[in-house]
Amino acid sequence: METRTDSVDLVGDEAATNLARAALFAALVGAFAYVSFPFPLSPAPVTLQVLGVFLAGVFLGPVWGGAALVLYLLAGALGAPVFSGGSAGLGELLGPTAGYLWSYPIAAAVVGAVVHRGATLRAVDTIGVPTLVAGMAAGVVVVYTLGVFGMMAVLGLTLGEAFLQGAAVFLPAEAAKVAVAVGIVRSDAIAAA
Amino acid sequence: MTLSYVPDGSPAHRLDPRSKLAVQVGFAAAAYAYTTPRGLAALTVVAVVCLRLAGGGPRSLWAYRFALPFLVAAPVVAGATLGAPWFRVDRAVETSLASYRVLLVFVVAAAYVRSTPVRDSRAAIQRTVPGRAGAFLGVGVALVFRFLPLLRRDLATAREAVAARGGDALPVRDRMRLVAVAGINRAFGRADRLGTALSARCFAWNPTLPPLAFGRVDALALGFGVGLAVVALATVV
Repeated sequence: METRTDSVDLVGDEAATNLARAALFAALVGAFAYVSFPFPLSPAPVTLQVLGVFLAGVFLGPVWGGAALVLYLLAGALGAPVFSGGSAGLGELLGPTAGYLWSYPIAAAVVGAVVHRGATLRAVDTIGVPTLVAGMAAGVVVVYTLGVFGMMAVLGLTLGEAFLQGAAVFLPAEAAKVAVAVGIVRSDAIAAA
Repeated sequence: MTLSYVPDGSPAHRLDPRSKLAVQVGFAAAAYAYTTPRGLAALTVVAVVCLRLAGGGPRSLWAYRFALPFLVAAPVVAGATLGAPWFRVDRAVETSLASYRVLLVFVVAAAYVRSTPVRDSRAAIQRTVPGRAGAFLGVGVALVFRFLPLLRRDLATAREAVAARGGDALPVRDRMRLVAVAGINRAFGRADRLGTALSARCFAWNPTLPPLAFGRVDALALGFGVGLAVVALATVV
């Protein structure tokens, strides 16, 4: 039995809290995947995952928000049942919804960067509604652009077909989620932010 | 039923997680390189053998049922055309093969998930990704596994509470907001308590990990994974 004599390299208080928040947000996005609402005009029930992506960008900022969604993807790839409907495994990251999944960390970072105008966090209640809407609209564009290209690559569809099957039918629900996210951020409902 | 680790003594359970990941990556590469009827027939055999070696069966695949509508709809959408001949069989066949390929990748992924405990996955990450990035990913993934069931229960409680107060009659947007606010508040509350508790317990970047070791069977699995990847690359070069 070998004896290890490395000294302990402690994690600072702030980093520990940020790490815990990133991990909990990743788990929350996973839990949101189970919450589905029937939505008018949408062929499939709408889950709150993308709402979680927006809010990760807003509440954790571009760096930790992006990191949280990286954790989400990695945990899912290694078997946590966090993808839609409780599925898991590396296969999901190569499946028909692969483009959407890979876009989440980028989208969270983009939303965070637009909303906070850079890498340092601003107080959430000082952010104006136009900035919030612009940030989340940018997030929606990132998610659906990568999602549609993912469907084209994985299923061999053309751009028009992939857009029809993978974006057009879901966009009304996304508009509702942006409205919900703005409502959440503008209200005083979140205690710890 | 969700897909998760099942304790068992199957051959796949005895493998090192890193060699199982190599097989998955190699298999996916081969499936994308050989999306032909013959190639996929051979890979079907490989995928079924992988799942059997992990002690899994058709029941293990139930968790993937939500991907099926996408996979079934894609050939129909791809085949349909505006104007004569209305349905192009060649396009539909091409997309059916692509859909089937995805299904096979799911089967192999299910074998990994069934046969690998979280601790081993975490150790595999921290031994593969060096430094603090690896420690962050390893700890973070373990925490996601730990807190996912709690947050799911928090959200279910919130939905029940909303329903019990007649919230079912509210517009979808309000119901989404109520559930999301409850979820985020619970998550932040848990995160802040966890962060304090971690600091109090000397949370370190360099903890002691469970031992991982490649055995003789791992050489076979690793060789197989690398072989699949090489065969796949051969078609590209």
